[in-house]
Amino acid sequence: LVQTNGLSNSLNLEKATLTTLDSGHCTAEEAFASEDETEESSCLSTEDEDSENEEVIRKKFPESFQVAGGQRLGSENLTDETSDVEDLLKEEEDYKEENNYSTETSGALKWKEDLSRKAAEAFLRQQQATPNLRKLIYGTVTEDNE
Amino acid sequence: MATQAHSLSYAGCNFLRQRLVLSTLSGRPVKIRKIRARDDNPGLRDFEASFIRLLDKITNGSRIEINQTGTTLYYQPGLLYGGSVEHECNVLRSIGYYLESLLCLAPFMKHPLRIILRGVTNDQVDPSVDVLKATALPLLKQFGIDGESFELKVVRRGMPPGGGGEVLFSCPVRKVLKPVQLTDPGKIKRIRGIAYSVRVSPQMANRIVDSARNILNKFIPDIYIYTDHMKGVSSGKSPGFGLSLVAETTNGTFLSAELASNPQGQGAAVLPEDLGRNCAKLLLEEIYRGGCVDSTNQSLALLLMTLGQQDVSKVLLGPLSPYTIEFLRHLKSFFQIMFKIETKSCGEELKGGDKVLMTCVGIGFSNLSKTLK
Repeated sequence: LVQTNGLSNSLNLEKATLTTLDSGHCTAEEAFASEDETEESSCLSTEDEDSENEEVIRKKFPESFQVAGGQRLGSENLTDETSDVEDLLKEEEDYKEENNYSTETSGALKWKEDLSRKAAEAFLRQQQATPNLRKLIYGTVTEDNE
Repeated sequence: MATQAHSLSYAGCNFLRQRLVLSTLSGRPVKIRKIRARDDNPGLRDFEASFIRLLDKITNGSRIEINQTGTTLYYQPGLLYGGSVEHECNVLRSIGYYLESLLCLAPFMKHPLRIILRGVTNDQVDPSVDVLKATALPLLKQFGIDGESFELKVVRRGMPPGGGGEVLFSCPVRKVLKPVQLTDPGKIKRIRGIAYSVRVSPQMANRIVDSARNILNKFIPDIYIYTDHMKGVSSGKSPGFGLSLVAETTNGTFLSAELASNPQGQGAAVLPEDLGRNCAKLLLEEIYRGGCVDSTNQSLALLLMTLGQQDVSKVLLGPLSPYTIEFLRHLKSFFQIMFKIETKSCGEELKGGDKVLMTCVGIGFSNLSKTLK
């Protein structure tokens, strides 16, 4: 189980980096990836997502602002507007990514916990839920034969 | 079958036909006590007496002893003889009551059975001749009982309480039965039916057809319901009408439902529209129950599986009827055979109620009375 978890984690990391690479807008990719990792560990339940999203955006805001500022020093008004637009775009992207993250990793983790025990439980439940027709029809004598 | 196996003993009037039929096939005598012993009118009823007389007609050398009050019956079966027989069935039960047992016995006669049964063809209790013709005959064919002389024909229709119907049944004999593997019922491909009316307006049948089609047309386009209006001598002695519907699947399974009007002078008058609609709903219920054999013929299928060659037979049934459950217990006591019973819950692809897969190995019964040519 541990091994598989590790594998899935690494796979997800790869995916994360890939997705960030795909979106050409982002300038600070590495930072994003690291941030995402921390998010992944912190946000397990979907309810917290919205609040955390906001936090993440706040964290990222200065970085992107700096970068944008470095590129266009001349007109501050314009940079403000563009950065706002960028932020909006980023917001959406981040949101999507996080969604993927929480469903893929935590869901997969939960699903893979104690598979054999779950199977055993399901089998026993099934056994108890379905009536033993043979016993009902032929009486208890058949139990000894079986 | 003249071996003197020790007799089986039962109490009560229930499942009389089952016991006598299985006794005849297995050759084991039965003693049935306490037949309605505490009833105000104790002993065998007239229709049961008529059934015993029918058994006496188609067998040779049976010994039947009934006590004074008719509460105790001893039956030592003889050889199944067959041949041309005529029988006056009691009008308290329909011909279906007698025919169900004949379908179990007919393939094992010495001479092919050709029998004319007179009485009530359609009533509200027993499966009608139309339904047995549409469902039981194809089932027997699956077991290798087939031929030109295999026929069930309604010559005259008779409704309760007067009766006056006539049915011709002829069945070829077989030495051995084929094992069957009926595990996939397939999908419904067509629905057929017969709306009959006797001694009432012929319009009744059309009204039944209209209301039944109203419901069934939503599901499948291939529906044909025949109207059968019999006149004069072929209409029996009492008025009445009814409908029997049969759904055929792509794999040759027949599922049936039927309804008949209340007998003259008993209960409220039934509207043909209501009857048609209710019968269509009954057919939908039967399709929901599903399986490869419809619920009226479950026990017949299980019997033929038991009497097959020493090979594995499998059949997928819908929920077992109480009659079938008791039949399984009787099969165990007469033939020492127990079925493997697996519940198949309906998954995504298999819609409808829970199914039961019945598996058994035939006892290798061969028809010893059949003459070799």
